[in-house]
Amino acid sequence: MDLYKFKYTFKKRLNFIFGLIIFIFLILLVKFFYLQVSQFDLYSSLSKNNSIKVIPIPPIRGQILDRNGEILAENKLIYTLEINPEQKLDIYELKNQLIGVVQITKNDIRKYKKILKESHYSSTLPIKVNLTNIEVAKFVANQYRYPYILLKHKFSRSYPKQESGAHFIGHINRINKKDIINLKKQNVYESYLGLDHIGKTGIEYFYENKLHGFPGYKKIEVDANNKVIRTIETIEPMHGDDIALSIDYKLQKIAEKAFGNYKGALVAMNPENGEILAYVSQPTYNPNLFTNGIDEANWKRLNDSIHKPLLDRVVSGIYPPGSTLKPFVALAALENNVRRPPFSIIDKGFFKMPNSSKIFKDWKKGGHGEVDLVKAIAVSCDTFFYGLGIELGIPKLNKVLKRFGFGEKTNIDIPNEKKGLIANAEWKKKKFNKKWYQGETAITAIGQGYTQTTPIQLALATAKLINIKNIRPHLFKKDHVSHLKKINSKYLESNNIDINLIKEGMSLVTQEGGTAAFIGRTSNYSMSAKTGTSQVFGLKKDEIYDESILPDRLKDHALFIAFAPSDNPKLVVSIVVENGGHGGSTAGPIAKKVFDTYINTGNL
Amino acid sequence: MIKSNLFRLFENIDGILMSLVVFIITLGFITLASASQQNIFLLSNQIINISIGMILLLFLSNIDPRRFLFYAPYLYIFSLIILATVYFFGFESHGAKRWIKILFFNLQPSEIIKITIPLTLAWLYHRYQNSINYKTHLIAFIILIIPCSIICYQPDLGTAILISLSGLVIIFLAGLPLKFILTSILGLLIALPYIWSSLHLYQQNRVLSLIDPGRDPLGTGYHSIQSIIAIGSGGFFGKGWSYGSQTQLNFLPETTTDFIFSVYGEEFGFIGTFGIFIIYFFILYRCVFMAQKMQNTFSRLTTAALVFTIFISSFINIGMVSGMLPIVGAPLPFISYGGTSMVVSLTMVGIIMSLHSHKSLIAN
Repeated sequence: MDLYKFKYTFKKRLNFIFGLIIFIFLILLVKFFYLQVSQFDLYSSLSKNNSIKVIPIPPIRGQILDRNGEILAENKLIYTLEINPEQKLDIYELKNQLIGVVQITKNDIRKYKKILKESHYSSTLPIKVNLTNIEVAKFVANQYRYPYILLKHKFSRSYPKQESGAHFIGHINRINKKDIINLKKQNVYESYLGLDHIGKTGIEYFYENKLHGFPGYKKIEVDANNKVIRTIETIEPMHGDDIALSIDYKLQKIAEKAFGNYKGALVAMNPENGEILAYVSQPTYNPNLFTNGIDEANWKRLNDSIHKPLLDRVVSGIYPPGSTLKPFVALAALENNVRRPPFSIIDKGFFKMPNSSKIFKDWKKGGHGEVDLVKAIAVSCDTFFYGLGIELGIPKLNKVLKRFGFGEKTNIDIPNEKKGLIANAEWKKKKFNKKWYQGETAITAIGQGYTQTTPIQLALATAKLINIKNIRPHLFKKDHVSHLKKINSKYLESNNIDINLIKEGMSLVTQEGGTAAFIGRTSNYSMSAKTGTSQVFGLKKDEIYDESILPDRLKDHALFIAFAPSDNPKLVVSIVVENGGHGGSTAGPIAKKVFDTYINTGNL
Repeated sequence: MIKSNLFRLFENIDGILMSLVVFIITLGFITLASASQQNIFLLSNQIINISIGMILLLFLSNIDPRRFLFYAPYLYIFSLIILATVYFFGFESHGAKRWIKILFFNLQPSEIIKITIPLTLAWLYHRYQNSINYKTHLIAFIILIIPCSIICYQPDLGTAILISLSGLVIIFLAGLPLKFILTSILGLLIALPYIWSSLHLYQQNRVLSLIDPGRDPLGTGYHSIQSIIAIGSGGFFGKGWSYGSQTQLNFLPETTTDFIFSVYGEEFGFIGTFGIFIIYFFILYRCVFMAQKMQNTFSRLTTAALVFTIFISSFINIGMVSGMLPIVGAPLPFISYGGTSMVVSLTMVGIIMSLHSHKSLIAN
């Protein structure tokens, strides 16, 4: 290659590269134009989000108090050790690292794994809750060794009454995936930012919106290491409202104690305004187990128990009303002019179906002799009601039962309420595709058969009977409960003359000859009541019900509805004692203790 | 007398190129002040770096270019030796063994190669300028490939690519036949999968994260994403000096070295970027103009190679921070913090000035 040609090639190629570089410059310029001018908005907002973080400040959940200010649910300051699950730390290694400082038990690990799997979390998850002061001190002293473990202090829900009142107070638990879907559906998800808990049952669930409050936030500028540079803005959270309940905790305690080891439910209600004063469901559980996520073992124990401690029997327990239905059946008869006194029958201890050889026995061998409607209530005469039922017929009976709230939700401010059932021919046809027999009408009239009620329904029906008007049972302490769905508080169609006959019958229950006569003998006030015994299982033909040889779980349920004082009722009580045998002898004494306490402590 | 001596010291400085370089160094220093969050220690260090570079520039501009020609092969061998020394006495930083401590400097031998390769290749072609053939080009390739493979093993892919490119530019300018170039490119395309598999995992990841920075937003892609956010959020006018939130809140990594141009882009906006490109253009134009004027093969090739080295590293850096090239870790000449880079860049300018002012000294 000669030098001239070399020089020529060089110059040509130099210019080529020069041009190439200019071209690259232009490409870069276009790229920068694209980033800095065209896409400016995007990157500007990205950069702002980078450095400005919004940290929610969780509100403090409202407390739940009884009518006298007794605390039923509160918030306790606790210390927890938490980790960020996104860092994918090995929990067993952390456990080993923490040996001698804080003991992480197998249970803690199981709980952590369960929470991790099931629940939503706003930032970190606890590996240990409720640290003792010593543990906190030890951890703080060694904190430098655990850069990934955070010591947090936060408010934790606490139920100081433990098992007592657990069903109506309810409990909170960690927010799970289903809750999130619900919250998003209700468009309230943003009010749970920074929060990990939500009310799951009872008042905690029903008044979640009031108790919960609204989170505030702190806008902070952070650097890449999440170190706070400065706080830009702070909006304080709106803490949840405290809720005062109509519950009288003293009465609640008495009622629970009166239940002893029996299973069942009790409702004590002010018949004037529907305030619930005692709300017992037995057996019960400790709601504190749930607040930071319940562990597997406890959950299994509670959920699998045949005694169903988690079931709120007051609103979700459905029982045949037994004889406690009789006053309402009697009222239905009166309104239809069936068996109005002085009509009476001679009870020989059984009822023979018309046009049939079928016989229905009375609970009392040999019968009650001459019985009119009032006495039939007092002595709970089955024979009288079998005939009454046949004469009255199901449609007319159901019309009145419906008026008193049977087969319908009471709309009490507690979740998961059951409707119960008042059956008729159409229902049976639909359900079993079978014809309705007249015998079924007869047993429906004494509260057996298909009829099912909840304890709260029985209490409400009794209160309605006293007042002859619609009321709504509630636990929120306020006469006018404006936040609840309006009910039609008009007076019922029933008339006073009929009602007074029923009341007379009920007042005789606690007097000599009545099914709960012992109450009248030992009380310094008058009580009206109705006992009930409902069969848990049907006896075969010729089989004799003998309480002494039956296993407990097959024994009859004892039921009891009552109000006192008879002439000016201040309190209504309904009780179901599962497998308690006789209404009068098992449920009656429980009711009496509640009334004694209520009336003798100056609530008259 | 003293005055005239002093004047003679500066007589070989090209005024136009010098003012452009000083301008860009000043701009870089201002950016560094913000990027370092006004770290006095770091800034005074950089002043020392600039001063050393300037003194060297001044010194080199007065050197007889025949000395460069004479020493070129020795310098090449010398630089190979210290490059090898890195293996034995170098220390590791950021996962790569690139530095060596000489006196109180942390020297990066791969930066010295940036100078010695152009000089050596220019020397080669100058020496055999009358009989350049495939053999000459082959020797040039070998000269180039030895240091490049050593640097690759450090591992410092960025510098290796940069040096290869600047070396290839010389070979190209020296008249490598077009036919050969085209076949090589074809061969390279075929070899690409093998090259890929020989890359370090972290290098592969960097390339992959370039293709899709969102692939691993907290890992390899993180730097790239943060850098793009910084540049993009600068907008047309920039956030203003020391007001770049990406920079000041440490979202940007390596703000003083590799990512200093993101700081610049964030704080001075598109206006600033456009401005600095204009200055770059003038520097380039001035150097190319000088190269055209040179009268011998050695000077022409050296000048062209050196200036293109500066520009290739600028492109790699700017392309990297703007998300067009993988994050390979290459400083921005004249602007990034760091002694070696600054001194080497100014040395290059010094050599170019010497070659320019002593045009007639080397005969063809």
